[in-house]
Amino acid sequence: MRTKRSYIKEYSVIFVSLVIIITINLILGSILLPFKDIVSAFTGTDTPQYIKDIIFTFRIPKVITALLAGAALSVCGLQMQTLFRNPLADPFILGISSGAGLGVALLVMGFSAFGISLSSSLFSTIGIATSAWLGALSVTLIILMVSARFRDSISLLIFGIMLGSVVGAVISLLQYFSSSSALKVFVLWTMGSFAGLSQTQIWVMFILILTGMAMSLYSIKDLNALLMGESYAKSLGVNLERTRRRILIATTLLAGSVTAFCGPIGFIGIAVPHIARMLFRNADHKVLMPATALLGASIMVFADTVAQLPGQSGVIPINTVSALIGVPVILFVILKNRFI
Amino acid sequence: MESYKTIEDRILVLESLSLGYDKVIYSNINAHANSSEMIAIVGANGIGKSSLLKSISGINTYPSGKIKVLNSCVENYPAGRLAQQVSFVPSQSPRAKNLSVFDMVATSCYNRTNWLGTLRKRDWELITSTLALVGLEGFENRDSSGLSDGEFQRAAIARSLVQNSRIILMDEPTAFLDIANRIHITKLLKNITREENKTIIFSTHDLLQALKLCDKIWVMGHSGFYEGTPNDLIERGAFDMMFKDSSLKFDRELFTFI
Repeated sequence: MRTKRSYIKEYSVIFVSLVIIITINLILGSILLPFKDIVSAFTGTDTPQYIKDIIFTFRIPKVITALLAGAALSVCGLQMQTLFRNPLADPFILGISSGAGLGVALLVMGFSAFGISLSSSLFSTIGIATSAWLGALSVTLIILMVSARFRDSISLLIFGIMLGSVVGAVISLLQYFSSSSALKVFVLWTMGSFAGLSQTQIWVMFILILTGMAMSLYSIKDLNALLMGESYAKSLGVNLERTRRRILIATTLLAGSVTAFCGPIGFIGIAVPHIARMLFRNADHKVLMPATALLGASIMVFADTVAQLPGQSGVIPINTVSALIGVPVILFVILKNRFI
Repeated sequence: MESYKTIEDRILVLESLSLGYDKVIYSNINAHANSSEMIAIVGANGIGKSSLLKSISGINTYPSGKIKVLNSCVENYPAGRLAQQVSFVPSQSPRAKNLSVFDMVATSCYNRTNWLGTLRKRDWELITSTLALVGLEGFENRDSSGLSDGEFQRAAIARSLVQNSRIILMDEPTAFLDIANRIHITKLLKNITREENKTIIFSTHDLLQALKLCDKIWVMGHSGFYEGTPNDLIERGAFDMMFKDSSLKFDRELFTFI
């Protein structure tokens, strides 16, 4: 009789390191905050007001955003890799980030065409998030409309990549004709950032991602069946079309929301599921999905800690860091031992 | 033996069935299967053997005709219900890295488990005993992608036994195996039909094995479909019509083409 392997040890190691990384993230920054100040800020004993301000208005919202983004993108990447049976699939493989980019480009560069500049007003953050989300949603809607026509997911994958390229071409065209100030706003968005989200925005992002996560959890059983090919899954009674639709909607909720609020953050979505497979040596999505979410959150917060350049006043774009972390992992894991 | 089986014993009936997706690739198939029968499907490459199996298991749609499983048409079955009667073993299942043999077989409990796929104790025991039945005792925690072709085929057979359907469809189960494994797997299938009361329908290019072991053979010939017992088909000269090339003649003594 086989005894079920428990992964409590692995999960707790990841969880403890997540807590440590979060603490380090809160300590480091343009000003170093002593650990005891952070503790006292939470326990409520007398802490200087400016420290409370730094922690509660800047650092905590940023950490929460990074946690949500990391977990969402990684879980999304895991599903895409299983659905398309492709180790290089990421949350954006069906053109969701291009769609979001087009939304932002239309907003930013469209306004500049009328002579209105969108520099850094509150309107611009909300406007950018909304237009990015609408852009991502429209790409998903197009893909959902055509997905019923495709017999297998590979045709869907090709369609998604092609659609992404077309949208990318339109974005380039818009960039070519736009003013340099509008171009700067757009380029800054593509670099990604976790900072500057209001409490309301974080709540919206949280609810969207929570819904996406719930749908992803519901797909676990179908994803496990899909591991052994679509025709086998279909012979088991998996409703392929419905599963595909559910995964696509979850992807928009997860990756679309992250892209809308933080910009298109690359590499995490491909790399983290591979790290999870390497650590857990298990293909069961019941094990992999929570592991991927936890690992994704930890790595994203770590990337953010590096990006804020401890002790310096400036920050570097999060996409630079995620690429520097993600690319070696992708090369190592995928070239060394392909797990799909 | 055939004579005292009534119509109710026919668990699978094909009536003037055509195959194909965009265009018809094969038509006018009339056949049936009884319980605990072992049936081989033979025919030239590309004639539609896989399409026939996939149509019966509900993976492919078919342009016309009827496929009845236990007296009701397959397209009337809700998605999971057909899987309780019919299971399908693809010719070469894609392998998933890190998927243990136990978890691989456990996926076939899809229709019996809750939304998360949690196994009940009964299924747990069934998987363990089925793995022992196909000769994979102690393989539970092995990585399924590292199995040899013969072992993997056994695991796939275990998977469809655990699915617990009355009909098992297999697309070329022995195609990638060496002679020893080919004989073991065929014997295993024969035992399963007798002892587990299953109907196994499989496609094959090994006509000799099919003639020796199967209760019935479905010949997807170039000019038409034939159904019958091995001896009956030889008498009727069905195998001479199997290929387009009429210079290939079936030798009744040697059981092969010359």
